[in-house]
Amino acid sequence: MSFREKSAWITLVSVLVCFGAYFVELFGGLASSHHHFGGLGSVHLLLVATVALVALQVTLNLVAAWTTPKDGRGPADERERQIQWRSHTIGYHVLMVLALLLFAPAFFGHRGLEMANFALLAVVIAALTVAVAQIVMFRRGA
Amino acid sequence: MKSFGKDGGLPIANHIRRLRFEAGEMTQSDLAGKIGMTRQTVAAIEAGKYSPSLEAAFRIAHVFGAKLDEVFQWVE
Repeated sequence: MSFREKSAWITLVSVLVCFGAYFVELFGGLASSHHHFGGLGSVHLLLVATVALVALQVTLNLVAAWTTPKDGRGPADERERQIQWRSHTIGYHVLMVLALLLFAPAFFGHRGLEMANFALLAVVIAALTVAVAQIVMFRRGA
Repeated sequence: MKSFGKDGGLPIANHIRRLRFEAGEMTQSDLAGKIGMTRQTVAAIEAGKYSPSLEAAFRIAHVFGAKLDEVFQWVE
């Protein structure tokens, strides 16, 4: 497995773990009324999730680089660049659709930090889409 | 737009596996190093899962001292 495929897996897992926990806590808190959805508590949670994501990604990418043979961690070649372009194009379209869907929570009266959290969810879903698309293309060969 | 051969695969066949064998069992890693690609990309090209750019195709042919059509063929 090349370094870039490992990196896609790392992105998928780390984003799922960190922001999965963030949104579960956020929406779970909303359901049990422990938190104000979109309140300052969510900013603190976001900070923790972001720091955890960066720490996890840096650590796992270092391990991936260390455990990948030299022929799998050189500069990206044409196939890998093509996979990156195609996956980011897919992610861009997903993000555009989700951005348009942001009108829905706004319509139901969500404002400020709540809308920021919906926007963040859209970015996270787009990032996960890019990672999944990369993994599928790497597995298929192109 | 990507076009497909009869069997649903890419319409370009290649003889890279045979040429590697004739070049003293050159490994995919060795070939990858000579053309500036990853071993995974060479494996994908060899398996017919990825069509290389014209430049990469010429690089591969050059490594084996062969003409382009001795390495790659268009399959109707």
